[in-house]
Amino acid sequence: MIRQSVLVSNNLGLHARAAAKLVRLASRFSSEIHLSREDANQQIDSKSILGILMLAAAKGTRLVVSIEGQDESEAGKAILQLFESKFEEES
Amino acid sequence: MASKPEIIFQGSGVSPGVVLGQALKLDSHNRAILRIHVDDAEAEARRFLRAIEASKEQLEALKSRLEEKVGSEHSIILDAHLLMLEDRTLNEEILTNIREGHANAEWVLTQTTERLVRAYESLDDEYFRERHSDIENIAERILLNLSGDRPFSWDSLPGDLIIVSHDFNPSTFAVMDVQKVRGLVLESGGRTSHTAIISRGLRIPAVMGIREILDSVVTGDRLLLNGDDGQVVVNPSEARIESMRGQMEAFGSSAEYASSQTAWTAQIKNGSPVSLRANTELLHELSAAKKCGAEGIGMFRSEFLFFGHPQGFPSTEEQYSAYRKLVQEMNPYPVAIRTLDAGSEKVFKNDYLANQANPSMGLRGIRLSLRAKKVFSEQIEAILRASCDGKMEMVLPMVSTVEEIWQTKTLIEKVRADLLRIPGVKLDPVPLGVMIEVPAAVLSLEVLAKEVDFLCVGTNDLIQYMLAVDRGNPHVAYLFQPLHPAVLQCLKHISEVANKLNKPARICGEISSNPFVAVLLMGMGFRQLSMNPLSIPMIRRVLHEIPLDSAQEIAGKVLTLATAHEIGKYLTEAVSRLLKIDLAPYVREITDKMTNYE
Repeated sequence: MIRQSVLVSNNLGLHARAAAKLVRLASRFSSEIHLSREDANQQIDSKSILGILMLAAAKGTRLVVSIEGQDESEAGKAILQLFESKFEEES
Repeated sequence: MASKPEIIFQGSGVSPGVVLGQALKLDSHNRAILRIHVDDAEAEARRFLRAIEASKEQLEALKSRLEEKVGSEHSIILDAHLLMLEDRTLNEEILTNIREGHANAEWVLTQTTERLVRAYESLDDEYFRERHSDIENIAERILLNLSGDRPFSWDSLPGDLIIVSHDFNPSTFAVMDVQKVRGLVLESGGRTSHTAIISRGLRIPAVMGIREILDSVVTGDRLLLNGDDGQVVVNPSEARIESMRGQMEAFGSSAEYASSQTAWTAQIKNGSPVSLRANTELLHELSAAKKCGAEGIGMFRSEFLFFGHPQGFPSTEEQYSAYRKLVQEMNPYPVAIRTLDAGSEKVFKNDYLANQANPSMGLRGIRLSLRAKKVFSEQIEAILRASCDGKMEMVLPMVSTVEEIWQTKTLIEKVRADLLRIPGVKLDPVPLGVMIEVPAAVLSLEVLAKEVDFLCVGTNDLIQYMLAVDRGNPHVAYLFQPLHPAVLQCLKHISEVANKLNKPARICGEISSNPFVAVLLMGMGFRQLSMNPLSIPMIRRVLHEIPLDSAQEIAGKVLTLATAHEIGKYLTEAVSRLLKIDLAPYVREITDKMTNYE
């Protein structure tokens, strides 16, 4: 079980395009990957785009990622990388 | 069980009568969303998954077309939609509810996505809040694929339904079982809407313009609807129902009153007989037409056989059986079929859709029929074949040149000759009429009239084209004045030419259902009116009380007045003096139009 904090730092936040990227990435792993806002308890499935959009995570929002499963460490790295690269939107 | 509290709504009553029934909510596409018990829940789950697969295929195809055209930058929203279709949280919840509740996929999908939409609508951030429309969009697509899979059936529904919807497309009447519909409640609309006119024709009490009633009603709730004063009560108390009992029974027996009025033919006092016919567009309306004593169908709007037809347009056989039913039911009275009068966008999905910025002046009516000759020939064939089963007439819409009549007559003769080559086929003559609804047709009336057997004046379109007013445009709707002096001069001219050439001329517009206007038309020399069936008993009664010479005198005076306002005021006062009937609502029909000038 991995728990790590990530910052939404791209300008548009976790909008449709970024959410789609996150869903596609998370779906590559067999681990269960959940997200929640630091300021709220509700956990959502990061393989569900409707869940991610429901977080309404604008730029500057801090999220907690919880990952559990066989490939959890690879998944954790990949997801951290996606957030740090600002979803490859701003070059 | 404690009874639910009463909720009272006030709208405007647009079709009279008091009824009690149970609510049936329709969605934005006028489809009923009902909870139906399914025995085989696994099969229902598979049906849902098939609809998801079909939706995905459609979106993938759409996405690749879009990418070809504008590049992948813009297909991002479709990408998000595809992921929503695959969303496992949503789909698992839906599948669980189908399996555990043995409920139909449409119901579960609608309930689940409605809840999700509400959750999104409560978000603070505008961008994320707006995503609710994406959810509605994909739910819509899945629903369409579900309905393609198994058409909705009215068979299992009870017979005391009150439709509750935001808006209502009149063509929906064509696909529903109107025998089961007791009332209609809409959030939008008003007295002059097409749906209101049809509701009156079908004798379905209706209340429109009730804002936000949908949120307070669920399918199956008891509703008490008062189409006279516009009140709708959700979950009415027994005491309230009891207090309205008398009015409900009065509405029930009004059908008997209407039929008791059919014993005598319409006639203007001291004058010649008058023919009152019904305008209809649905076979369901025939019973109302007969009940109200219509002496035939003055105009059957055949496009309603075409709207929403699964194949785009009905086959010759389908049309033939509809027309045959019409003439058989109305026999010995005649039935005039108005040939397809639709903008091309309504019927021919792709072929003729090219940029009609101004459809009311575009490719429609006879123009479209002469372009789509195969479809037109099929309609003519169906009409000719049904001619042996009763009295059939054919009317051509939107005619603006005599060449259009010539071309149509050539086509009719060709279809007739082809049919007569089939052994055993017998055809009766079908009188041909022309709709007078374009100003050019009024001014070249003699030329047109000599080519046909009778004339039908389509006053709604004629007023619109004459006064250059789109009555659907709220900024200029006040200029849609049936009593404008120019309109009345046109009508007088039509009456004079028709009488001179001895061609019957029939007024086929909503205005003839106003008793004051009906009297005016009699005074101008018209003897045939066609209107919504429900208005016929009242008009018949009014005409019976008006002496012909008084009507002529009123018409003569009206033609000297300068404004629609003066005309309306004079007409209502002069006619009211001659009558013992209270016509207050009809006075309002005329005076309401003038408020912009006062």
